[in-house]
Amino acid sequence: MDGEYLKSRRILLVDDEQELLDMVVSILKAEGYCNIRTAGTVRDALAAAAAFRPELAVLDVMLPDGSGFELMEQLRREGGYPVLFLTARGEDEDKFKGFGLGADDYVVKPFLPRELILRITAILRRSYKGENPLVKLRGSEIDFDRAEVVRYAKGMKDGEHISLTAKEHDILAALCRNAGRIVTIDALCEAAWGDNPFGYENSLMAHIRRIREKIEADPSHPVSLITVKGLGYKLVTEER
Amino acid sequence: MKSILRLIRRYVGILLLSCVLLLALNFIVLAVLVAGLTPNSHPWTTAEEVANALQWTGEAYILPEEVLSELDESGAWGIFIDNDTEQVRWMTEELPESIPLSYTVSDIARLTRGYIDGYPTFTGEREDGLVVLGYPRDRFWKHMWASWDYGFIANLPGTVLTVLAVNAALIFLIYMAANAGLLKSIKPIVNGIQSLPQGEPVHVREKGLLSELAQKINQTSEILQSQYIQLRRKETARANWIAGVSHDIRTPLSMVMGYAGQLAEDAHLTEEERRKAAVITKQSRRMQNLINDLNLASKLEYNMQPVNLQKENMVAIVRQVVVDFINMDLDDRYPIEWETKEALAICQVDADRNLLRRAVGNLIQNCISHNEQGCRIYVRVAAAGESCTVTVADDGVGAEAGQLEKLNNAPHYMVCDENTTDQRHGLGLLLVKQIIAAHGGTTLIGQSPYGGFSVELTLPMHGFSLQGMGAVTAQ
Repeated sequence: MDGEYLKSRRILLVDDEQELLDMVVSILKAEGYCNIRTAGTVRDALAAAAAFRPELAVLDVMLPDGSGFELMEQLRREGGYPVLFLTARGEDEDKFKGFGLGADDYVVKPFLPRELILRITAILRRSYKGENPLVKLRGSEIDFDRAEVVRYAKGMKDGEHISLTAKEHDILAALCRNAGRIVTIDALCEAAWGDNPFGYENSLMAHIRRIREKIEADPSHPVSLITVKGLGYKLVTEER
Repeated sequence: MKSILRLIRRYVGILLLSCVLLLALNFIVLAVLVAGLTPNSHPWTTAEEVANALQWTGEAYILPEEVLSELDESGAWGIFIDNDTEQVRWMTEELPESIPLSYTVSDIARLTRGYIDGYPTFTGEREDGLVVLGYPRDRFWKHMWASWDYGFIANLPGTVLTVLAVNAALIFLIYMAANAGLLKSIKPIVNGIQSLPQGEPVHVREKGLLSELAQKINQTSEILQSQYIQLRRKETARANWIAGVSHDIRTPLSMVMGYAGQLAEDAHLTEEERRKAAVITKQSRRMQNLINDLNLASKLEYNMQPVNLQKENMVAIVRQVVVDFINMDLDDRYPIEWETKEALAICQVDADRNLLRRAVGNLIQNCISHNEQGCRIYVRVAAAGESCTVTVADDGVGAEAGQLEKLNNAPHYMVCDENTTDQRHGLGLLLVKQIIAAHGGTTLIGQSPYGGFSVELTLPMHGFSLQGMGAVTAQ
């Protein structure tokens, strides 16, 4: 994993089932997270939050002395850290309510340990950017903060800086958030042009071609930005 | 309401028609009676005949024998009064004694109009005098003062028609007055009966002629309502029960899945132990899917799942599901072929995006679950006229024709109301059928051209419906 700098973040877990808390703690500890505090009630959670100043809260919705939705609103007043709901309430309305109130993610029980870890890491990475946010590709790097690509020609130590347009930036960011996974044409269009992006498929292809010209050594034989025919595109990043 | 108007029209029509028919019948019967009862009832004519038949022989007047016998038969007598002398010059043999033999002009005027000594008399003219026939006193009744206003006679047809019309109107008014009460009490009852099948609560005022009927309708409505509420309550209770169980099972299952997942990746354990933990994880995953499906299926079955239809691009929905599966399938045992034509970028349907994702996801999951050895999965979205089809097929083990028939037609145990154990096919497919049905579409399960299993979902395109062929107004 590349998120070593995230492992020391303070995480508050709130659930009324002690055994479940123990299990989540063991999952997180196994993954290297070491700053973890748990609480079983809203009251305990508020007290723990005041003392512990968490950087991520994982909340159950149904707590003995109140609801997790209300707890989130109270916690948010204290500090603007991300919140993930981990709950047995799997109804769409509950999910929408959670997201509507500003939750960063919503995981329905039961869950696989890997799934929870991936989601927690993703939230932390989004919320707390590391020292060096450069994304390393084969033969180039993307610097999202400066919206540019640094391309290294063979044998050269200093790279060539090529700037990205806003749309190219949005498309690359969407691909990068899901690095190694296919992102559908529709999701990329939505990332670049907003909701209901009908009829932008050809524009997307044009933008992809231009991005390849910037990041690929040989744009007609791409190795980083791969086409998955009919479905979407995949960004292959280099391990750090 | 229409039926009441029809009823009134019909009955008034029948009433008027019968009146007219009755009247006509009466006239006909009268005419027949008058004509049939008195064939020899034309004394004026007879008098004319006698006048013509009377002959002067030079000495005396004679009446031929046949005319004489005709007079005898009807019991009549006759005399002939001479113009010049105003004396009786001829008479029949049976002339009553009270009949005078000499007449003044005023006598003649009176006998012409009326009677001689109570005998009804009729006259026939001749050049030289007047023939008078007298009939028995009880044979005829004569109207002596008959004369009408000329205008009245001239306007007679109009008058008759007016009288008839006034009569018809009167009959109608009498009918309405007599039936107003009945109609007034029928109207709410008809309304009540019409509302019953719509499942609305009905209350009819229990007054008037048909109050008993109204009472029965009210009772029926109450029974229907209470049955509906009870059924609804039972369904809600069942759906809540399933929702409750599936909620309560989630936390314990989390722990099973969580620890098993950890153990499966624990490097300190032996290969065999890790494999066992992986089996627990996999089976827990199955239970998780089952819980999710069971909950949604019961909600759809009991109409407790809101279906939020919005204009969606079917290609995008299916593409996202396919990509999610490809992204999850790390060891590439279940490669998915995207067979949608590239030209088809948009296929708009009115759909609940989450439900449709669930349906297509269930179909792909079905291919995976039934093919342990791995298989290739083929997904295609196609547009044809007013409908959009999504096909998920595989080259795996497939199913026998009999089994396919069952999958298409036999009810799932969750929705089957008969006691049988022979319907335990996948809950996942039931859910797909329910979701597609909630979108007004159809599900067809069959053999895949690649050798395995195939499911084809057909949904109406945006603005169309599969049942009614025409376009519907866009929401």
